[in-house]
Amino acid sequence: MTVRIRFFARFRELLGTDIVVDVPKNKGLPELVKDIAGKNKEGYDAIFDETGAFHEFVILMQNGKRIETADAAKIKVSDGDEIAVFPPVAGG
Amino acid sequence: MIAIQTGDVDIGALINGAKQHGTGAIVVFDGIVRDDDIREMELEAYEEVAVPELEKIATEAKKTYNLLSIDIVHRIGRLAVGENILVIVVSAGHREEAYEGSRFIIEGIKAGVPIWKKELTKDGGRWVPGEHQHGRGTGKKRE
Repeated sequence: MTVRIRFFARFRELLGTDIVVDVPKNKGLPELVKDIAGKNKEGYDAIFDETGAFHEFVILMQNGKRIETADAAKIKVSDGDEIAVFPPVAGG
Repeated sequence: MIAIQTGDVDIGALINGAKQHGTGAIVVFDGIVRDDDIREMELEAYEEVAVPELEKIATEAKKTYNLLSIDIVHRIGRLAVGENILVIVVSAGHREEAYEGSRFIIEGIKAGVPIWKKELTKDGGRWVPGEHQHGRGTGKKRE
């Protein structure tokens, strides 16, 4: 199945954006993000702490709906999903 | 008008458009690029989410503060010092509602609409830290 990952702001600079990947069924959301972020150590460290958990400030969305990082481990991605990963917003 | 765009905003046209029947007050918020020893500012947005969130904030503000009209235009792309970043124009029957509604909208944008700013300096650039945090932690608001 195909999933689209979008990073924004500093995460985009480190990891790129609009990344489309083929993933197996029942892929966990954290594992998916780790697979992609792992290609750039600075990018990985910007998103995950030393225990492999999301930094508390990281914001996750699945198809435009916010997911608490504490709940992310329970989330499986589905075919056609758009996952967004970004730092705290700073508009206005 | 609720929009995220690269082009500038015709604030005068928005004010004229906000003068509806029953209008007694119009409040304009214009956030501009401050000269913090920067060359330019670069803004980006997760537009597919940011626009619906702006619309949601506007709907809530209209209902809560009895606003007659609301315009929110947030710019993205590269902006020079002094350029408009965000323009909010609200009209209401009375000034209290207009002021409070405008404040509600700007605070809502800062709290949760996925837009980011990077200050471009002669030494490179720095991302403006968000005022709120949305993960599992508790965020601290900058005063």
